[in-house]
Amino acid sequence: MRSTNEQMQGFISEKQKGQRLMKLLYKLNQEQTNALALGEGEEICYCVPADLSFDSRKMQAREAYTGKIWLVVTQERLAVLEENGLAASYPLAECEKIKCEHQVHNGILTVTKKDGSVICAARFSMRHIVRAAYLARGAQSFISAEAAGGSPERVVSMEYEKYCEKCGRALPGTRKCLYCEGKMEALRKFMTLCGGYVGKLLLISLLMVLTAAANLLVPLVQRNFIDGALADGSGTWGDLGIFAGITLSLVVLRILISVYRYWQCVSLGASLSMSLRRKLYYKIQSLSLSFINNRKPGELLNRVSRDTNQIRGFMEEVFGDMLSALLTMIVSLIVMFLISWKMTLMSFVFIIIVFALTKACRHHIHNIYHKQWLKSDELADNLQDVISGMRVVKSFGKEEREAERFCRKANEFAAISRKNETFWAVFFPTLTFLLGAGNYIAVYFGGMDVLNGHMTLGQLVQFITYCGYLFGPLDWMTHLPRMVMQMVTSLNRIYDVLDEEPSIADTQDSRSFPIRGAFTFEKVSFGYHTYEPVLENISFEVKPGEMIGLVGASGAGKSTLINLIMRLYDVDQGRIILDGVDLRNVKSESLHSQIGVVLQETFLFSGSILANIRFARQDASLAEVIQAAKAANAHDFICKTPDGYNTYVGEHGYNLSGGERQRIAIARAILNNPRLLILDEATSALDTESEFLIQQALNRLVEGRTTFAIAHRLSTLRNADRLVVIDRHGVAEIGTHNELLEKKGIYYGLVTAQLKMAEGA
Amino acid sequence: MSEFENQGQDLLDLQEFDEEALKKESEELLEMRFLTGENAEFTRTPGGFIALKTGDKEYARVGVYLTFPLTNPEEFISIRETDEKAKEIGLIESMDKFPREQQEMLREQIKLRYFMPVITKILDVKDEYGYAYWNVVTTFGACRFTTQLSGDVVIHLSDSRLLVTDIDGNRYEIPDFYQLGVMERKKLDLFI
Repeated sequence: MRSTNEQMQGFISEKQKGQRLMKLLYKLNQEQTNALALGEGEEICYCVPADLSFDSRKMQAREAYTGKIWLVVTQERLAVLEENGLAASYPLAECEKIKCEHQVHNGILTVTKKDGSVICAARFSMRHIVRAAYLARGAQSFISAEAAGGSPERVVSMEYEKYCEKCGRALPGTRKCLYCEGKMEALRKFMTLCGGYVGKLLLISLLMVLTAAANLLVPLVQRNFIDGALADGSGTWGDLGIFAGITLSLVVLRILISVYRYWQCVSLGASLSMSLRRKLYYKIQSLSLSFINNRKPGELLNRVSRDTNQIRGFMEEVFGDMLSALLTMIVSLIVMFLISWKMTLMSFVFIIIVFALTKACRHHIHNIYHKQWLKSDELADNLQDVISGMRVVKSFGKEEREAERFCRKANEFAAISRKNETFWAVFFPTLTFLLGAGNYIAVYFGGMDVLNGHMTLGQLVQFITYCGYLFGPLDWMTHLPRMVMQMVTSLNRIYDVLDEEPSIADTQDSRSFPIRGAFTFEKVSFGYHTYEPVLENISFEVKPGEMIGLVGASGAGKSTLINLIMRLYDVDQGRIILDGVDLRNVKSESLHSQIGVVLQETFLFSGSILANIRFARQDASLAEVIQAAKAANAHDFICKTPDGYNTYVGEHGYNLSGGERQRIAIARAILNNPRLLILDEATSALDTESEFLIQQALNRLVEGRTTFAIAHRLSTLRNADRLVVIDRHGVAEIGTHNELLEKKGIYYGLVTAQLKMAEGA
Repeated sequence: MSEFENQGQDLLDLQEFDEEALKKESEELLEMRFLTGENAEFTRTPGGFIALKTGDKEYARVGVYLTFPLTNPEEFISIRETDEKAKEIGLIESMDKFPREQQEMLREQIKLRYFMPVITKILDVKDEYGYAYWNVVTTFGACRFTTQLSGDVVIHLSDSRLLVTDIDGNRYEIPDFYQLGVMERKKLDLFI
């Protein structure tokens, strides 16, 4: 019975091994391990921290508990360690169920004993709830294995850690910490990516050096002209002409180079971000739905659009200037030193002061504008609320009150903007003055040197110009670390997706074969979130060609079961067997090309009706398309639209009703001539007459194909061979229509309720 | 016809078949059943929960739900069953309808179910590349937590009452912003 950790490791598939899993086995110190007093062969299988005391009478500081409360699961018991001592121990043999219950902003671990009594074993804040939920699942798998006589399943979590284990910083939705390990690696990967653009990079670098050289040459020419031609009055009109010519051509040259360089940078940035975007797009397509669902809506969209844009922006605006600005600054500094080290040091001190000042002010400026931004956001939200809820506001006669509320918000916003603008009006000229003050100092002291004859006039002019070069990019330099950091963050977020292995992927043993349609569900459990399983321990068999009706209350898990059949998600525990092959070993392309799906929310792509129907099989002939549309009772309404099958549907296209959309979706499913048909409320948006017509068509279609159909309107399912009633996460009843009616259970209740309702009409 | 069918669809979720039972259920849903010291008695269970005896019914474990947790935490407390459906057993209009000892039990259960530390002192709020790291003292002791910088991190319940949500989903309350010191308020500048 006892299975060691090593044996259980076997349950972790090859591809999971390479990836970082959520930590579920923390290390205890010696004293804590001793307190556990492990029996012979007993091993710690799961160990996670908790941070709250469950006994409300002695509830204590949360931080005080860090590292002091541990939940431990071994093969034989669940133990709670507190302050290096064993606080409680529950032998698994005595337990019926161990569960993580979600409370309000915290969670508790409940143990249900075999005698039915329930015990609150531990309590934790949201920081640890996910881990605790996995621990509970791990403990439960020992209990179930004991009861069923099988071997326990090793519970692993693919969920992301929220904090870096080493430095404690929040992870920006990535597996690796930017500070501890990700930074260099991301940069290295970026370099590899840049590898394909070596020529362009070299060209840009050369151009940067040229810009810097042109920049630095201008003051040198100026100096020679002033000292050689102006200072002693020996210059001629010719000298002046030559000077003007050289300066002008240098400036023009610099502008031309800059334009060309900018152009090159833009094209480099664009092609880099495009290649990243393309990679991301392909990757996201190949990743499973669970990866996508794990993220907030819009987050992946952001990674594709915003993060790649960030990189493009960096290449265009920062990278192109970086080298030339640095080069200009360094050379300027050296030349300044050669002219007068005293004055250079003086300006240098001044630069540091200004640098510190701008940095300090920037924080303040950031704050006040952030505040303004928040207020304007609030104002916009308020406005949107009222405008979109206009009917409610008007029908309750609350226009006056809403107007007042908006007015108050608008006034607050105006006040803040006024304050900020006033501040800016004072601050900006001051800053400009300070930045310019370096020049005044240089003019004063340099002027003295010139008068004393220690320096020539040309040198002074040259010094002042270089001084300007030094001050100019100062502001930009304070931004630099932040900009680089932002770029690295974006890079990391991008590579986080690119490095993700699709959890639903074909392996070498994946098979593709023509589906017959025999399904076996073996103790299938699944949940979108750890702490709430949607389906638990589902087992039943489906014969090839059978039509199965799925019945149950909303949210009971019918659509989830269908998601599992389509393998949009992999089961957490148990397995689904299709024609004798585990669904996880069926090539997903082979599976999906043989499934026809009509879903509750019918999604049509922007494009023509023709393209939408042909989505599953691009090479279908026009006759086949019409045949399918006829079967779906869609042909008639399509003919009535102005452009027929070429009618454009989608966001800005022809407005289809819900029923029409559904019929197109049905045609799309039919066209594929699938071996497996899935109808999730496929006819819910249709009127009774159209539904009857489509039912007729579907009946013909369903023949000989395994079909799973969900419907609230039970009449839709009257042709089903068997009905599966799903209730409380499991299969409550299963059988033919008549069998279930005789049973007088849930299904009987549903049918009579619907009949009563119809009578009421 | 189809209109009625749609109604039927909605009501199907009730899972009740008998019209009588349906009617009874809908009446039960509407009824305000108040629990008082006279018609109900709570007792502690060894497992750390509370049991309820009301009328001829006994519940081995009941859930205590606040209906107005933010504004009226001591009023209209909903006592519910602990299974999936969490059907309401009754409402407690106010705590003082029960003997002191049972009030104590109810408060314990509320503390168990609701976790909302109140921030009493803000030691430091540091922002670093998109996240804010807070170091505060709460009614539960010293606490460090991390929040996003943007979005709905700080919700205004009123002009002075704030709720802070961290990246784990824990919530912290600042009952009166103006009771905080000037320096502490300044640290919150970014969010307010």
